[in-house]
Amino acid sequence: MRIPILKLGRYLLISVQVELDDQTALQFQEDLLNKIHQEGSLGVVIDLTSVDMIDSFIAKVIGDVVEMSNLMGAKVVLTGIQPAVAITLIDMGVSLQEVQTALDLEQGLERLQQELGG
Amino acid sequence: MKSVVLQHLKDNKSLYIEEWRKSLEQHEFTKQGSTFSSKDMQQEMKDEFISVVFQSIELSSEENRDAVHRFANRLIYNGWAFSEFIRSLQALRRVVLHNVSANFTKEEFVDVSVEFEDWLDEQITRLAEEFSKIQNEVMTMQKTAMKELSAPLIPVFDKISVMPIVGTIDTKRAAQIMENLLEGIIEHRAQVVLIDITGVPVVDTMVAHHIIKASEAVRLVGAECLLVGIRPEIAQTIVNLGIDLDAFTTKSTLKKGIEAALELTNRTIETSEQMQSNGGLKR
Repeated sequence: MRIPILKLGRYLLISVQVELDDQTALQFQEDLLNKIHQEGSLGVVIDLTSVDMIDSFIAKVIGDVVEMSNLMGAKVVLTGIQPAVAITLIDMGVSLQEVQTALDLEQGLERLQQELGG
Repeated sequence: MKSVVLQHLKDNKSLYIEEWRKSLEQHEFTKQGSTFSSKDMQQEMKDEFISVVFQSIELSSEENRDAVHRFANRLIYNGWAFSEFIRSLQALRRVVLHNVSANFTKEEFVDVSVEFEDWLDEQITRLAEEFSKIQNEVMTMQKTAMKELSAPLIPVFDKISVMPIVGTIDTKRAAQIMENLLEGIIEHRAQVVLIDITGVPVVDTMVAHHIIKASEAVRLVGAECLLVGIRPEIAQTIVNLGIDLDAFTTKSTLKKGIEAALELTNRTIETSEQMQSNGGLKR
């Protein structure tokens, strides 16, 4: 199962529509980094609106992906984290301290635009 | 009729009612939380109580339970103090035993008084049962009401919401606060939430922990959290306890918090003079 990565100008859009299992998450990590390298993207928006559950491994992978992308010069914004997911993450002690977040895709893109100076 | 004593009570009902009423006269029925209870209301309550008790001799236990239930209901909703009713039943005991000793022989008296005590105990138990049952119902209702009132998220401006917290925060309430906060953010599409702790009497490590957790969750769903309403004594406790609120933007008042929130969403409040000197509306 692969998660599609869409290119939109200088940005990459990822809407996660499937249940994230460990394999999918690792595959996604690889795909995204390759895509950033290939397209030279400056920003990435990962939309998690339809994700109902995140376990600690997936949370770690997401944190890693964000850090790796930052290393490659692409800012990452996570959007649409559901309240239940947020509560689970906090209860697990995962606060994704370094990660940017936004309410939805629209605000996520706005945020990227702000950060990258228009 | 089941027993001698009940038959006796029934036969001499009017006499006992009269005597009991007299003995209740020195008795003050009070209302909880209010000093106001007129003589008429008291008399009405006493009469009703008397009739409920004497009815129980004739009614089946099912019917009696209903009657007591209705009576207890009225007691609670009108706020009468329960102990008075127990005390007046004890007054009845004195009245009855006094009369019974005059009407029965010594040998009969023992049996009769035992029977009577049984009957009276039954009445007291029933009243207490019904009373506590209803009181529990009231408490459940109040708990629900409290829960509903406990943590509202109020949208004050576009993208800015306020959650005023009044009263102490325990783990249960913290979960409720967190839930309302996150659901509200999604619903109102808020970018900044102000948590106002003006009404929180004590901020200890646990409360701070809950607030920090909530703010991290808020950040995850894509909004920002400002902590406002930090009173001087709260600031002192926070520092003395060594609680780290560095990750927070904190303001002393809601007013300052709202100004900061507007700034975060690229807006300001201006007076009309300021606006004119700035050359009219900016937009």
